[in-house]
Amino acid sequence: MLLFRSEETVTEWCEARGLPKRPIINLNQLWYLAKTWYENRLTVESRRPAPDEMVEIFARIGLEGPFWDPKADQWHAAT
Amino acid sequence: MGFDTAVKLNIYETIAQTAQAPTSADVAKALGTSAEKVEAAFERLHQKRLLVPEPDDPSRIRMAPPFSGVETPFRVKVQGKTYYANCAWDALGIAAALQADAIIEVSDGQSGEPMLLEVRNGQPVPEECVIHFAVPAAHWWDDILYT
Repeated sequence: MLLFRSEETVTEWCEARGLPKRPIINLNQLWYLAKTWYENRLTVESRRPAPDEMVEIFARIGLEGPFWDPKADQWHAAT
Repeated sequence: MGFDTAVKLNIYETIAQTAQAPTSADVAKALGTSAEKVEAAFERLHQKRLLVPEPDDPSRIRMAPPFSGVETPFRVKVQGKTYYANCAWDALGIAAALQADAIIEVSDGQSGEPMLLEVRNGQPVPEECVIHFAVPAAHWWDDILYT
């Protein structure tokens, strides 16, 4: 994942590499993910979210579908 | 607390305090054990996706997410220290993990234009930017260094 100033530079990046444009999120959504993943990382009980938890976390900020499902099989042949 | 948890905590405490990732020898000295046992713990933590040892040197840490063990284009300045992140997500993650305000130096993925992000009082300061995910979640750890 990469940060860009605008969707226009995302398009340029994809075209330069012959890659499809994939989901784009905003800064507040990224902050939510950063906090959820890492705010307890320096503690004894910290752990990475399990796949089903990841799906729930993404859904809370409107990120749904197979792209955001770490167990989705349909991407294996396509990527 | 188990051995792997002690290793993980020592890694994160060391990085938080020094902004440098410890080697297996550093962790072994701190915990009173051998570097070989620590490297075995590094590998188990890798299997849990909590750590990425250097591919060619199991004694060194490449990634202890959100921290990078090597310099990257994602610089995170917190309370006078400069940390390195693995990506924009992790750059914000360093501010979240340290629960501190941060200034984050990044650049546009295509143009290279320098950009500054700031976390202040537990929130990102609004900044014109978007984040593009090129790799679906099912494949993030196929090549985490690329992701």
